[in-house]
Amino acid sequence: MRLTVNGVEHDVLSPPLATLLHVLREELAITSPKAGCLQGGCGACTVLVDGEPRRACLTPIAAIDGASVSTVEGLGAPDDLSVVQAAFHAHYAAQCGFCTSGFMMAAQALVDSDGQASREEVIAALSGHICRCTGYVKIIDAVTAAVNGDVRTAETDIDMGPRDEETITLVPGSPA
Amino acid sequence: MKAVGARLPRYDGLAHITGRTQYVDDVRIHGTLWTKALRSPHHHAAVRSIDTSRAEALPGVHAVVTAQDVPRNVYGHLEALGVPADEPLLAEGDVRWKGQVIAAVAAESEEIALAAVDAIDVEFEEREAVFDIRRAADPDAPTFHQWGPVYPHFGPHNHRRVRKGDVDRAFDEADVIVEGVYRPQAIEHVPMETQVALAVPEASGRLTIYSCTQAMYFSMGVVAAHLQWPLSKLKFVGGTVGGGFGGKVDTATETICALLAIKSRRPVKWRFTREEEFLVSSTRAPWHIELRDAVTTDGWILGRRTLTLHDAGAYARFSPYGVTKHAFHHTGAYTIPNVRFDGFVVFTNRVPTTAMRGFGVTSVSLAVELHLSRVADVLGMDPLELRLKNANRVGDTTGNRVVLHDPSTVAVTLAAAEAAGHEVGEEYRSMTSDRRTGDLLPEHLVEQQAPEGAHMATFDPTLTNGGGH
Amino acid sequence: MAKHRGRGFSTIEYPTGMNQNGDPTQAWIKLKPDGSVDVFAGTVDIGQGSKTVHTQIVADALGVPYASVTMDNSNTDSSSICTGTFASRGTFIGGNAVRLAAEKVRERILDIAAKELEISPDDLEIADGEVLAKGAPERRISVGDVAAAATWSYGELISGHGTALKPLAEVDDDDGSVTIEPHSAISYAACVIDVEVDDETGETTVLRMLQVYDVGRAINPTLVEGQIEGGAMMGLGLGLLENSYPYYPSVEHRGEQFGSYLAPSLEDFPVIENVILENPSVDGPFGAKAIGEMANNAQPPAIAAAIHDAVGVWVTEMPATPERVLRALEEKERREPRREGKRVIFDEEISVAAVSTNGGEAYWGVHG
Repeated sequence: MRLTVNGVEHDVLSPPLATLLHVLREELAITSPKAGCLQGGCGACTVLVDGEPRRACLTPIAAIDGASVSTVEGLGAPDDLSVVQAAFHAHYAAQCGFCTSGFMMAAQALVDSDGQASREEVIAALSGHICRCTGYVKIIDAVTAAVNGDVRTAETDIDMGPRDEETITLVPGSPA
Repeated sequence: MKAVGARLPRYDGLAHITGRTQYVDDVRIHGTLWTKALRSPHHHAAVRSIDTSRAEALPGVHAVVTAQDVPRNVYGHLEALGVPADEPLLAEGDVRWKGQVIAAVAAESEEIALAAVDAIDVEFEEREAVFDIRRAADPDAPTFHQWGPVYPHFGPHNHRRVRKGDVDRAFDEADVIVEGVYRPQAIEHVPMETQVALAVPEASGRLTIYSCTQAMYFSMGVVAAHLQWPLSKLKFVGGTVGGGFGGKVDTATETICALLAIKSRRPVKWRFTREEEFLVSSTRAPWHIELRDAVTTDGWILGRRTLTLHDAGAYARFSPYGVTKHAFHHTGAYTIPNVRFDGFVVFTNRVPTTAMRGFGVTSVSLAVELHLSRVADVLGMDPLELRLKNANRVGDTTGNRVVLHDPSTVAVTLAAAEAAGHEVGEEYRSMTSDRRTGDLLPEHLVEQQAPEGAHMATFDPTLTNGGGH
Repeated sequence: MAKHRGRGFSTIEYPTGMNQNGDPTQAWIKLKPDGSVDVFAGTVDIGQGSKTVHTQIVADALGVPYASVTMDNSNTDSSSICTGTFASRGTFIGGNAVRLAAEKVRERILDIAAKELEISPDDLEIADGEVLAKGAPERRISVGDVAAAATWSYGELISGHGTALKPLAEVDDDDGSVTIEPHSAISYAACVIDVEVDDETGETTVLRMLQVYDVGRAINPTLVEGQIEGGAMMGLGLGLLENSYPYYPSVEHRGEQFGSYLAPSLEDFPVIENVILENPSVDGPFGAKAIGEMANNAQPPAIAAAIHDAVGVWVTEMPATPERVLRALEEKERREPRREGKRVIFDEEISVAAVSTNGGEAYWGVHG
């Protein structure tokens, strides 16, 4: 079977019922999609197959023979971040980072679908992804910004000094 | 520009968002074998025999380990803190929880490893199991742990105790006594990265262990103790973990990978399935907490009687530590001058419980805060005013005699009230954490108040920075 | 037949560091010949951001740019002991260790700079990677040049190590008393939660969680928010969704998949607001305390109190599932507390006394 992954064609040697996740991680050494549950329940394995977000852990490669697959490795590099990546970086949308790849590919599909989306629509579109660390707040901030074009792109050296509206207050009477 | 206080980007932020962060399962070492475990299907049973010969004979199986392969089979999590070891790494003689590991296999593929596990023959004799901590210490209850139904090593006692003031007198003097029962539950840590380790034999004879542990030196010590090796023979590689929340301290995979790596002379990886995480990995503990608060009609909490039962599961692990921490915080953010606390670590035939975010205090916060909301309701008092009245002040002492020199109970409560638009009475709005005087120092709080300027023997960490550079 | 709104509160406190102390973290730092800073700390980053926080602390303790500091926590050959990433100790105890190591390194930098500049080290300061004479900043030497001088002229590896360790606080087994503080600091938080409860289905929807945290000093405010927000959803899970044993103490019907074990998802996502206060600690790095664990403690009791405010029933067995809320509503009258004199007694039928065969004598019968 053949797959084009991040623009590169591969002859796939794994058996036809091997999952796309297995092929990516074990055969092609593309490790950004994660084996979070192997049940299709968490979204950490999400990649784009012909532009659509799919659970790689549930996708047998026989079902996608000849398809074009996109993973985070194809999105951008530290000195040339994609819009989604720049948004995740600027909004601190990753803590441990394990769910991040799956969220970003799902977000990329939203960005590619070329419309504005409200925060509620973003929440609905991502609701199949589990994150245990962030409480989702900054992920939703990031994806909403990315989808609505509200991102400074390709900036890795972001000056993130204290913001003007800093909400941190000294407790009255405490030593400064 | 100052770094402290600035919203600087994560040190590992770029790695995370370019998919380059390397977790244990992303490490690729040629020749790595897969691990699967044979787990007890019974909650409680004697193990009469284990026969691994059929499994070892399967093509593609490189090693099978049981208790006989472990130089020191005892799992002593807190031996350094004086908690005696009670748990084997691999089951020996009996199994005490469904999922307990009896044997482990290293094989060329996941499929072969699973087939090998099925080919291990074990003879069990099922026994009665214990699940309800309220009944576990009854005279007619079955016991299975070598120490009896409860952990017996809190010094000479079988429970953690706090005694301060005169709780009986507090109950005599109370206008109302409010009693309730609180049962916070066991939950799973659910890190997005399941537990995983990869043990790699090095040419030098050392073992490198890639581990998802939250505590590299602690886990290294656990492995070294099981193997009876000096620390110099081990190298733990890690420090980057896909979520932990307390569930990656137990060192559940590392030693077994090490044993299999030593026996097979190959790199060995064990990655828990999500099902294993949900069903057989250690959980937060269930607790049963009974509170009796002696209160006045105007909202003073005169005293508190607490009975806590902690469901440790089949072995002690960190439970004595958790119950002790729970005991230290059972008065919450408030000053209660007369207390009597008894906390028990109770054994049941379920997965051993472990630390999870807030260990020991999460449960007591659930109980005491929900109870306080109830007390407010019974008294017809505003829930924030009740809290502010009894809030810790400078110079107050806790049940353990800790002198508080800088509590913020009042500050956070008033800030929350303001942000939520919840109005409290004027006398409450002007409250501070200052040392109690006047109306805020009623008769019953005089004795517990530390002398002005009193300080506990605290310790300045700068003094421990011994030696040169 | 209706949805009811309710509000609940909680105020909590939480200790920094392992209970009773005795948990060291050690760190060491060296400079490369160009003044780049290498930090070796054994603190594991599980996502909370310890690598980031420690790097920020070192940068400011030394007076060098954040970008010139490299953090290595990757293995036990090069890193020294950190007891572990738990007990909310990473910023305070781990941070103190790297800070103390940095202060040792700072002393060495100043000593060599003093020789190079022929100025007393007491009259020098370091800012943005430059050693400057106080009041005469035109007299200066870069940290890079100091490191080069150390390497090629003075024959010194500029390095330092630090240990943070508070001694064990023994506890009296009879009365629980201590004579040393059994923690490094205490953090405080208050929480207000608004819910909507459907009295026909028993479902509780969390509308808003507002939390106020005193963290001593927010070394990185965004990372602090990350803990608050992540903890809030975990607290929501504890309060409403998650249970390893849905019919505890029974071991039946355990969920083994994300669909049958309900980890909080975007389906459950409310408005989360946070307020950060700073009441600095006496001896934490730059006044920091801790937040990592307490972030999921305040929500469960506030949710349960909010449910009572909404529909008038107390659910004290967590999580407050729809089934439990409905049963409480159905049994509302029967579950009214028993009154005996001045005692107001709730939840009798789930108590030890009711369930045990002998009134829980082993537990209630403790002497002294």
